[in-house]
Amino acid sequence: MDLADRIEAFRQTLDEWLRGLYHGMISHPSYEKIEKEAEDAEDAFLLACFPDAFGIPSPVSYYTAELLPFLEDEFESWERRLWDRGTLLERKGQQYHF
Amino acid sequence: MEPFVFFGGKGGVGKTTVSCAYGLRCARDGHRTLVVSTDPAHSVTDVFDQPFDDSLKSVEGIDGLDAMQLDPEDEVTRHLDEIRQDLSEQVSAAMVNEINRQLEMAHGTPGAYESALFDRFVDVMRTADAYDRVVFDTAPSGSTLRLLGLPDLLEGWIDRLMYKRRQSIDLFEKAAVGSNEPRRVMEGDPVLARLQERKEFFEFAGNALSDDAAFFLVLNPDELSLNETERSIADLREKEFAVRGLVANKLTPSPDPDENGRGARYLRERVETERAHLETIREAFDPPLVAEIGWRVTEVKGDLLDDVASELDIETTIEAPTHV
Repeated sequence: MDLADRIEAFRQTLDEWLRGLYHGMISHPSYEKIEKEAEDAEDAFLLACFPDAFGIPSPVSYYTAELLPFLEDEFESWERRLWDRGTLLERKGQQYHF
Repeated sequence: MEPFVFFGGKGGVGKTTVSCAYGLRCARDGHRTLVVSTDPAHSVTDVFDQPFDDSLKSVEGIDGLDAMQLDPEDEVTRHLDEIRQDLSEQVSAAMVNEINRQLEMAHGTPGAYESALFDRFVDVMRTADAYDRVVFDTAPSGSTLRLLGLPDLLEGWIDRLMYKRRQSIDLFEKAAVGSNEPRRVMEGDPVLARLQERKEFFEFAGNALSDDAAFFLVLNPDELSLNETERSIADLREKEFAVRGLVANKLTPSPDPDENGRGARYLRERVETERAHLETIREAFDPPLVAEIGWRVTEVKGDLLDDVASELDIETTIEAPTHV
């Protein structure tokens, strides 16, 4: 293997590492953050749709019940997230990797 | 006058009799008329002496007059079954139980009956092309007023829901890394589509109620009925539905002047009190008194209904609807 090839191989490894580092440190956490934010927005939507799940009677749950067949995944993960969530602070804290 | 006519008022004042009489009058004037009762007491059946249900049925012996009675309980059940049907098509068996619980809860809320009735009567308004006039005999005041206030409230609510849903989908789309499929996509989202459908329904209801509907209140010449009518007029005005006229029902007949027995004295005094009340209505109330209908000795049915109809001073001419 001559020098040029070795430099090329080294650059490829370096490139891969840098990309991985960038993804792990910058892009992945930020995508994750957006995703968590999206989940939070979805939780707010579901809460607005089905407040009676928490004993708050709502004049619209009769109508939003029509959405249930289309909200299968959302509904399931909503319930799971609600069990999972200790405090709002904890939820927001999960988004930072120290 | 507008194609949709609503009769409201306190319980027991004779809304059904007056609506049926007006329906009869419209039919006699050659308009195809439908009488819809939203009162679960089912009194249209008694007036026409013929059973009615949720489907359109023509009234025997009267040309061009149909009637139907809406039952909120049936409506709620039908709605529930419809969603269950959708559920079984879309959702995996494991989730059905979970969602079913939520579904039953939603249909047990206090507003469910009202929503069901509202849905049904807006549906009737939407599909009433075959009729020149639809007369609604509404349930007693309170719940009806709440029904009529629904479109505004619900439209705003649906708007907020749609905004929230869009926001979360937008974030999910942004969170999708590279060429990965996002967890939710805006285009073709069934939830947004369903909400949009609902929004249009409420918009139609709001428009039709404010532009194509006329309201009349039935009252009896007594203090309670007067007070309730006053409140209803104010409530309806607040919702920007004007009351077109008042119908005074169950007026006491005055005895012949030469009679002087106990019964005659009673009637005379009663008539006096009622006259004072009617005077108050004419002076203090804004909508005009369009009919004064006396007590009948027997139940108002058959020929008597024609009598009552002729006492109603409500025009029957039809204006084309603007929103149907």
